[in-house]
Amino acid sequence: MKRVLQTLAALAVLGLIGGSAVVFGGLYNVSARVGHFPGVPLILHTTFINSVKRHAPPESAVPDLDGEGMVALGAKHFDGGCKVCHAAPGQDRWAIPTVMVPAPPHITDAVQEWQPNELHWIVDEGVKMSGMPYWPATRTDDIWPMVAFLDAVQDGMTGQNYADLTARPTRPDGAPEALPYCAMCHDNSGRTDNPLIPRLDIQPQAYLEQTLLAYADGSRDSGIMHVAASRVTESDLMELAGWFAAQDTTPTTVSNITDRDLIARGEALAAKGTRDVPACTACHGPKAGPRASDFPRLAGQSVTFLSDQLHLWRDGARGGGTKANLMTKAAQDLSDGDIAALSAWFAAQPASR
Amino acid sequence: MLILFAVMLAGAIVLWVAVNGMMLFFNRISTRHYDESAARKLIIGGGIVFPTIVIAALLAWGLSIMPDQRAPGDGLRIKVIGEQWWWRVEYWPEGAETPIVAANEIRLPVGARTEFNLTSAYVIHSFWIPALGGKMDMFPGRETMVSLEPTETGVYRGQCAEFCGASHAQMAFEVVTLDTADFDTWLAAEAAPAMAPEGAKAQRGAQVFLAEGCGACHAIRGTEAVGEVGPDLTHVGSRESLGAGVLEPTMANIADWIAHTDDLKPEVEMPAYDDMPDDDLMALATYLKGLK
Repeated sequence: MKRVLQTLAALAVLGLIGGSAVVFGGLYNVSARVGHFPGVPLILHTTFINSVKRHAPPESAVPDLDGEGMVALGAKHFDGGCKVCHAAPGQDRWAIPTVMVPAPPHITDAVQEWQPNELHWIVDEGVKMSGMPYWPATRTDDIWPMVAFLDAVQDGMTGQNYADLTARPTRPDGAPEALPYCAMCHDNSGRTDNPLIPRLDIQPQAYLEQTLLAYADGSRDSGIMHVAASRVTESDLMELAGWFAAQDTTPTTVSNITDRDLIARGEALAAKGTRDVPACTACHGPKAGPRASDFPRLAGQSVTFLSDQLHLWRDGARGGGTKANLMTKAAQDLSDGDIAALSAWFAAQPASR
Repeated sequence: MLILFAVMLAGAIVLWVAVNGMMLFFNRISTRHYDESAARKLIIGGGIVFPTIVIAALLAWGLSIMPDQRAPGDGLRIKVIGEQWWWRVEYWPEGAETPIVAANEIRLPVGARTEFNLTSAYVIHSFWIPALGGKMDMFPGRETMVSLEPTETGVYRGQCAEFCGASHAQMAFEVVTLDTADFDTWLAAEAAPAMAPEGAKAQRGAQVFLAEGCGACHAIRGTEAVGEVGPDLTHVGSRESLGAGVLEPTMANIADWIAHTDDLKPEVEMPAYDDMPDDDLMALATYLKGLK
C-alpha cells in the first residue's frame, strides 16, 4: 500500500514538472500552420457535435420559421455579421477564413445536419476556441430569424435569392454616408414592408438618437441592432437619426388587421388605461396635446414589432434610452390579450410623428 | 374626543395618586406591622375587586359606543380603496350616480355621520383615524364598513394600521373636518374640473405635465390627463400633505417628490423622474400647487 502511494506521488510530481515545462517553458507549439496532433481534430469536433446536441433547447421551442420577414431579416444580419467568415450562398470564402484553425466552414456546409433548435443554440452560445462568437445580447428571441435563414440555406437558397434579400438601396444625394448599411433593412425612407423591422420615419429625432446610442452601448438589448449600431460612429448615428426623423410619413398605414373587437379593446386601453395600466397615448400619442420628443410614436408601426417589443417590456428584458424605466413600470401588468389589442390598435392608426 | 381624553386622564390621575399614595403611606407614614387578614383584604379588594369593577365599567361603556361605528350614515358615503401605498377616495353624496374622485386626504362634515365603504386593491390594509374612531381592515375583493361622526373641526392624521409592504409606514393621510356649510362649499369645489394654470410658469408646468406623459397615470379633470393608475390630481394643490402623508406640500417638496419618489417612498409604483431638468420640475410644482 505504501509503495503504491509513493509511486502515485512520484507520478504526480513528474506530471507537475512536465505540465509546467509545457505551460511555462513554451514546449507546446501553438502554431495554427502546424495544426493539431493527429486525431485531435476528430476528438474536438466530436465533442462539439455532442455538446450541441446535449445543450440545445427542445424542438418545441422552435417558432414558425416561415413567418413573414423571418428569412429576410436573418439574411440581412448574416450579411453584416457572419458572411465575413462563412461566406454566403453562391459565393466562395475569401482567403482569411480558409487559413483559420479550425477553418469556419462555408455556410452551406455549416448548416448541414443541424436541426433548427441546434442552430439556435450554436448561434446563441458560440463555440469556445473555434472563433465562433456568442450572440452579443441577453435576449435570444431575435436569433430565430437567423435560424430561419440558415434553415432556408439548408433547403438550397441560391446566390440570386441571397443577393435579392441583401441588396442595399442606392444612396440618395445628400443622404448620410452610412445610410445604405441601415437602408438594407430599414430602406432609405425608414419604411419597410418587413413586419419584424420597425419603421423609423414616424420617430422624432431625439428618440432615434437615444435609441441608437442605447443599441450601440448595449443598454437596449438586441443582438441584431447592437452589432449594427456598434459599426457606425457616434457622429454618423446622430446624422442617421436626423435623416430618418426628416422623412415624410404620409404613405401611412400598412396594417391589415380586420378584428374590429380587438382594435376597439386596444383603443379603450390605449386612451384611458386601467387602474394597473397607464394610458399609452399620454406619452406615445396620437393625441392633441404636447409630447416629449424622446417618447417613441407608435401610430402606424408594424403590429408584429409592437407586439414583440411589448412582450420584451412586460417580461423585463427590453432596456432603452433615458426613460426606459418609465415603460418598464408601465408594461408590467399587461396581459398577452392586452398586448395583442394594443398592437392591433396602434398599427391601424394613421402614421404621424 | 376631548371628553374621552379628559375622562381617561382623570381616571389615570386618580389611580396614579392612589397607588403612589398607598406606597408612601405604608412605607413612610404607617410602618407598623399589619396582620395577614388585613393584608389579604387589601390585596383582594385593591387587586381584584376594584380593577374588575373599573375595567367592567370601561368595557361596558366601550361596548355601548362600538355599535355607533357601524351605524348607518346621514347621507354622504366615502369609498376608500387601499393602494400601494396610498388611498383612492371617492365621495358619494346622497343620490349621486358618479363619485367625486380624490386621493390621500379625507374631508368630513362635523355633526353628521359619514359612512366609509372600505376595500383594497392588492393586499390587506387597515383604515384608522385614531382621533375619530376605531380601525377597520380593508380587504381585496371584499367591502367593509365603518361610520364616523366628528364633533369638532380640525385636522387629524389617519394611518394604515396593517403592515402592507415596504412603505406601510409612509401610507398616511390627513383628515380635515369642516362645518357643514364649509364642507358643502368645499365638496362643490372638489367636484369641479381643475382650474386653468395662472401665470407663465404654471402654464409651462401644465405643458410639461402633458408632454412628459404624467396623464398616463394621473387624472386632472378638465384636461386630457385621464390616467387612473395613480392619485387624481385635479385639486392636489389644496391638500394638506404630499405623497399620502409623507411630506409638507411645499413647492420644493413637490419637485423633490417627482424626481426622487423611490427614495421618499421605497418601492413606490411611480417611477422617479431624476433626469428631469430643475426648471421643468419647478414649473410642474408651480402648476400642481396651483390646482386648488
